[in-house]
Amino acid sequence: MFHWLEQRPFFFAVMLFLTVAFAGFVEAIPDFAKASQPVVGKKPFTVLQLAGKQVYIKDSCNACHSQLIRPFKAETDRYGMYSLSGEYAYDRPFVWGSKRTGPDLHRVGNYRTTEWHENHMMDPAAVVPGSIMPKYPHMFTNLADIATAYANANTQKAVFGVPYDKKGMPKLGTWKEAKAQALADAKKIASEMKNQQVKDMVAAGKIPEIVALIAYLNSLK
Amino acid sequence: MQSNAQLEYDYSVVKLFTFTTILFGIIGMTIGVILAFQLAFPELSNLAGEYGTFSRLRPLHTNGVAFGFTLSGIFATWYYVGQRTLKMSLKESKFLMRVAKLHFWLYFITILLAVVTLISGYTTSKEYAELEWPLDLLVVVWWVLWGVAMFGMIGMRRERAIYVSIWYYMSSFLAIAMLYIFNNMEVPTFFWSGDAPSSLMHSISMYAGTNDALVQWWYGHNAVAFVFTAPIIGMIYYYLPKESGQPVFSYKLSVLAFWGLMFVYLWAGGHHLLYSTVPDWMQTMGSTMSVVLILPSWGSAINMLLTMKGEWQQLQTSPLIKFMILASTFYMLSTIEGPIQAIKSVNAIAHFTDWIPGHVHDGVLGWVGFMVIAGLYHMAPRIFKRELYSKKLMDTQFWLQTTGIVLYFTSMWIAGITQGMMWRAYDDYGSLLYSFIDTVEVLHPYYTLRGIGGLFYLIGFFMFAFNMYKTATSGRVLEREPEYASPMAS
Amino acid sequence: MSQETLMTFAGYGKFFLTLFIFIMFYGYAYSIYKRQRTGERDFEKYSNLVLNDSLDSAPLEPRYKKQNKND
Repeated sequence: MFHWLEQRPFFFAVMLFLTVAFAGFVEAIPDFAKASQPVVGKKPFTVLQLAGKQVYIKDSCNACHSQLIRPFKAETDRYGMYSLSGEYAYDRPFVWGSKRTGPDLHRVGNYRTTEWHENHMMDPAAVVPGSIMPKYPHMFTNLADIATAYANANTQKAVFGVPYDKKGMPKLGTWKEAKAQALADAKKIASEMKNQQVKDMVAAGKIPEIVALIAYLNSLK
Repeated sequence: MQSNAQLEYDYSVVKLFTFTTILFGIIGMTIGVILAFQLAFPELSNLAGEYGTFSRLRPLHTNGVAFGFTLSGIFATWYYVGQRTLKMSLKESKFLMRVAKLHFWLYFITILLAVVTLISGYTTSKEYAELEWPLDLLVVVWWVLWGVAMFGMIGMRRERAIYVSIWYYMSSFLAIAMLYIFNNMEVPTFFWSGDAPSSLMHSISMYAGTNDALVQWWYGHNAVAFVFTAPIIGMIYYYLPKESGQPVFSYKLSVLAFWGLMFVYLWAGGHHLLYSTVPDWMQTMGSTMSVVLILPSWGSAINMLLTMKGEWQQLQTSPLIKFMILASTFYMLSTIEGPIQAIKSVNAIAHFTDWIPGHVHDGVLGWVGFMVIAGLYHMAPRIFKRELYSKKLMDTQFWLQTTGIVLYFTSMWIAGITQGMMWRAYDDYGSLLYSFIDTVEVLHPYYTLRGIGGLFYLIGFFMFAFNMYKTATSGRVLEREPEYASPMAS
Repeated sequence: MSQETLMTFAGYGKFFLTLFIFIMFYGYAYSIYKRQRTGERDFEKYSNLVLNDSLDSAPLEPRYKKQNKND
C-alpha cells in the first residue's frame, strides 16, 4: 500500500498533509471555541489605549518584554498576580512575547506612573542605571495614529462583537466622537507630564505617540 | 518524452536563488551581529533614530535569515535536487520555466518590500509572521507558484520512485501553506474605519488572547520545523551521499524517520506555552511530544553520520564533508537540547531567558547555515561549470564559523541559566534577592562574547560569498560535470 | 449535549485516532524490514537515485515502460 502511495505524488501529498495536520486538528477541537471568555469586569481598550498598543507593536516592545506572568512565587512576587486566560479576551493580537530582555509588563500599570514612563522612555538608563533599553525620543514627536486605532476598535466591534458602546463599556461612537474622546483622554495624561513640547502638541489637538503609549501601559493592570 | 543526449538540466533559476541566498544572508546576519552588540553596548541602539533601535531591527533579522537566507537556499536547492532526482529538466517545459522565474521575482520583490515595511514599523507583532496583510497575500501567491513548479516537475519525472529528499520538500510546501494561512488570518481594519483616515496596512488577528497565542506557537514552532528542519534534512539526504559518493546508510530508516517527524513535529508547539494560560493537557502534550521528537530527529542525523561509515578519511580531505558532518552533529545537539528545554521543570527556568535564542542559534548557525552553505558549495562547480576557487579559504571559513557558533551557544547557555536562576533567587527573609536590573547587568560579558561569536560567523559568511563570487568568475573551467566530490583548487 | 460529554467523546476519539496511527506506523516499519528480508522489495536501491542522477543515465525504475514489467 505504501509502495503504491510513494509513486503517486497526489495521493502521497494528501496523506502527508493529513499526517501533518493531525495534531492541529486534535488540539483545536473543541477547546478552541470555549477559550477566551473575558473575566468579569474586563473592559476593551479605549481608542487612545489601542493607539498606544499599536505603538507598542510598531516598535516591537514585545521583542524584549513579556506580558505573561507565570504561576510561580518568584514571578507573582515580582510582577503581581499570575495571568488568567480571560484577561486577554480583547487582545488582538496577543502580545505575550517570548523573551524577557526587560521585565514583564502585564501589570505594569499597577506600579509605574505616567511620570516614570515619560522619563524612562526618553532615557531609560537615567531612570534605571545599567539599563540596556534603547532610548525612544521619537515617540515624543511622532503622532499616534488615532484614526487607525478607531478603525481597529470598530473592526473589533463589528467583526468580533467586542462590547464597545455597551453599558459600562468604553464608548466608541462615530469617528468624530471617538477622536474628541481620545483627545480628552490624552489631555488627562499630558497634564501629568512635564515635557512642554508634548503639552503644547496635545493642547493644539495633536497626540504624540508617547501619550498613547503611556495610556496603554497604564491600562495594563 | 524520450531522453535525448543534448538535453541538460537547467540551472538558471538555481543561480538566481543562489544569489539571493548570499545577498539576504549578508543582510540578515549583519543585522544579527548589530543586534547582538546593541545588547552589550546599548548606545548602539540610538545611532539611526527610530530606525536603528534593537526592537525595530529584530523582526528584520529574524525574517531576513529565515525567509530571506534560508528560504532562498531551500528554493535554490529544490530546483537543483528536484530536477536531478526526478530526472527531468526545466528546459523541457516552457510553462514550468516561466512559473519558476515568476516564483523567483515575486519572492525577491516580497522580501525587499518586507525589509522596507518592517523597518518602517509595519508589523503584526506575531513572531516570524510579522509581515502585514498585503505582503502576506503576496507570499501566498509565490508559495502557490512554488507548489505549481514542484508538482509540475514531479508530474514530468522520468523516475518512477520519488526520492526521500523530495518528500521533505513536499512536506515543507504543504505544512507551511497550512500553517501560514491559519496563523495569518487577520482582518484589515481599513474596511471598518468609517470616515476615519486610517492606515491601509493595519490589520488585527482573527483570534484573541490565548487562542491567538496557541495558533501563533503552533505556527511558530512548526515554521521552524518546516523551514529549518524538513527541507534541510531533504538537502543533506541529497548532498552528503552525492558529495561523498556513499549510498545512504539505510534508506528504510530515512523513510521511517520521515513519517515519524511528520506526525510528531506538529504536536510540539505547545512547549512554547508552558505555564501559560492555554489548557493544561496541551502543555503536557507539547512537552511529551517534544521528547518523543528526539527519535525521528536522531534517526535522520545518525543515518547521515553512518553514511560516512568506512569513509571517514573524507572528513580530512574535504571541507565540504566537514560542513555537512558538523551540520548533522549540530542537528543532533539542538534536537536533544530542545526536548530538554521542553521538560516543564527545565522550562520554568529556561523560558524567557537567553538560553532560548542560544538554542535557536546552535540550530540555525550550525545546522541550517552550514547545510545551506555546503549545498551551495556543492552546486557551484555544477552550475557555473567551474572549479571551486579556494579550498584553503573554505577550511578557514569552517573553523572560524565553528568557533563563532561555539562562542555563541556557550555564552548564551551560561547567560540563560544565570538569569533564570537569579530571577527566582530568594534571600533568607523570603524576599527576592535580585532586582531585575541586576539580572541584566550580569549578562554584559556574555552578550559581548555572543556578539564576537556572531561576528566570527559573519566574517566566515563573507568568505563564503567571496569564494562563491570568485568561483563563478575566475574558477578553472571544468570540461565535464564532476560526479561525486566537488573539485576545488587549493 | 453538554460541553462535558462532548469533551469526553472528543477525548476518546483522539485517543483511538492516535492509537490507530501508532499501529499504522509500527506496522509500516515492520513491513518494510520484512519485505527487505524476504527479498520482496529492495529499499536500499533507492539511494542510487542520488548517486546516479545525470539526465542521460537510465532511470532506476523508468516511469514510461512499454515492455519490461518487473517490480
